[in-house]
Amino acid sequence: MSSANPLMPQMATIIDITVETPDIKTLRVVGKDGLPFDFMPGQCAMLSVPPVGEAIFSITSSPTCRECLEFSIKDVGSVSGALHALAPGQQIGIRGPYGNGFPVEEIKGKNLLFIGGGIGLAPLRSLIGYGFANREEYGHIDIVYGARSPADMIRKSEVKETWGGQSDTSVYLTVDAEFPDWNGHVGFVPSYVTELAFTPEKRVAITCGPPIMIKFVLQALEKLQFSPEQVITTLEMKMKCGVGKCGRCNLGSVYVCKDGPVFSLAQLNALPAEY
Amino acid sequence: MVKKVIAREKLPELWAHLSAEGLLILPIQDGPVVLFQPWYAGADVRLDAVNSAVSPKDIFLPREETYLHYRCSGQQLELSAVKSEEPVTAFGLHPCDMKALEMLDRVFMDQDPPDSLYQKRRERTTLVALSCDKPDPFCFCNDFAVDPTDAPGADVMACLSGNSLRLEARTDQGKAMLERAGGLLGDDSGESVELKEVVTADFGLKLEGLPEDLKNRFDDPAWDELYKSCLGCGVCTYVCPTCYCFDVEDYGHAAEGERFRCWDSCMYGHFTKMAGGHNPRPERKERVRQRFMHKLQYYPETYGEIACVGCGRCLRSCPVNLDIVRVIKALGGEKVEQR
Repeated sequence: MSSANPLMPQMATIIDITVETPDIKTLRVVGKDGLPFDFMPGQCAMLSVPPVGEAIFSITSSPTCRECLEFSIKDVGSVSGALHALAPGQQIGIRGPYGNGFPVEEIKGKNLLFIGGGIGLAPLRSLIGYGFANREEYGHIDIVYGARSPADMIRKSEVKETWGGQSDTSVYLTVDAEFPDWNGHVGFVPSYVTELAFTPEKRVAITCGPPIMIKFVLQALEKLQFSPEQVITTLEMKMKCGVGKCGRCNLGSVYVCKDGPVFSLAQLNALPAEY
Repeated sequence: MVKKVIAREKLPELWAHLSAEGLLILPIQDGPVVLFQPWYAGADVRLDAVNSAVSPKDIFLPREETYLHYRCSGQQLELSAVKSEEPVTAFGLHPCDMKALEMLDRVFMDQDPPDSLYQKRRERTTLVALSCDKPDPFCFCNDFAVDPTDAPGADVMACLSGNSLRLEARTDQGKAMLERAGGLLGDDSGESVELKEVVTADFGLKLEGLPEDLKNRFDDPAWDELYKSCLGCGVCTYVCPTCYCFDVEDYGHAAEGERFRCWDSCMYGHFTKMAGGHNPRPERKERVRQRFMHKLQYYPETYGEIACVGCGRCLRSCPVNLDIVRVIKALGGEKVEQR
């Protein structure tokens, strides 16, 4: 009658590593027999590198990609640092998937406005890929993506060429300041969103990025008359268990690892502002 | 219903018998304090003591618990589960601690997915609860849904009565335990024990409606004062029977080692600090608020009752008296005298 230990990872292998930026790499990971588990866009997984430990990362690939899981990981801590030091062929531990994921059913038929900053594109990319794979289910897709500099943009060719080349899709890129090799838009993401003057009609905005960017994007969307129900974001908090018990990601009566990480702004407004 | 009795001077024989069946954990005098710990020959077992200094939650959520071994060789990684299967008898838990166990069960067994480490320990443990008739000045379980003389959920309910310990089986598991110890136990006369009403401290708390009321008190000015005396030592979380936050860490070197989980505390700064440095609860104010809001508002919102059983441990242990009674009163949970 006892169940399996939810903290016990399974084995996985890193099959490929792409250097995205000076501090971001994308790891492609497979389990023993293909995908380690099924998941939905917006869900996360715990990756283990003994003896350093475990940390939670959003899955950046779309569930429609059946070859592997992809993780775009910024080198900011001990586990992310350890993952950056690995080479293809290395075995790691993995467990998941965790979290609620994006509300793919509820947003069907809507125009989708993605607003990402820096590594914040990683969780959005899973849903963007899912949207393209189920193109007829969704309306027009706008993608606003910004980074500090051109060198800090992840998945550059995919964003520009693959996504830009999709039907009924617009891609808007911006960097924080002027750079010699950049002739695109210059300015912060929130002000670019304001400038592009998206209308809230039949549209859902999905945003992820550094906390300061999210804060101003939310303000910009509010000014553009988006209601809190039309704005979706995905939270980041320290997590150890991933199953709503260890206490770190507790916010009010929810656990971000289990009840989130995806919340509408309306849901967030009902929680203590502690994230 | 199986009812047995044993003379108190015979108890060491019962302890020896139960510890031969598996791990026997019970309240033992350890220097100046009483702690739940494995029995050993000659142990000073304190069934007569008020609550142990630390709650017996570690029988089910150990302070540290290794659950996997890893071995690395080149690019190969091998992960193997570490299991412990020993049967356990937990003897002498007071009704307040039994009530707290019910609260932990909801988190670790009822929520999906269940925590198998906790669940397996619960399944292989026979719980002998002990009625409590000598509360100390810090005990206030009368404020909560705790009957000091009875503990739902026990396999065996025990009570000290004069020179005897009376034992009543409540489950098949408890009945089997008493039957195995048959030679040591006499049949109880069947007369029910005359249990007097146990009155615990009245701190003048008004708990009705408190969880609902606290929804609007996240930004209450009381928090700006309350936290100031907190030293952030975390002792409240360690002694508390309803605190269950834990950490997961690796121990070992590159080639071989283990992963364990251990108690952690929301009172510590690193608890919510993320890689990259952002910390959603950076100061003691946010952490004190988190701990008490979890007990008094978040947990009740999910499970319908306040996560406190009135065991009094935080009142006895907090070096600055920032205990739950003081916090409840500061947040409006105090009875106002009718004049």
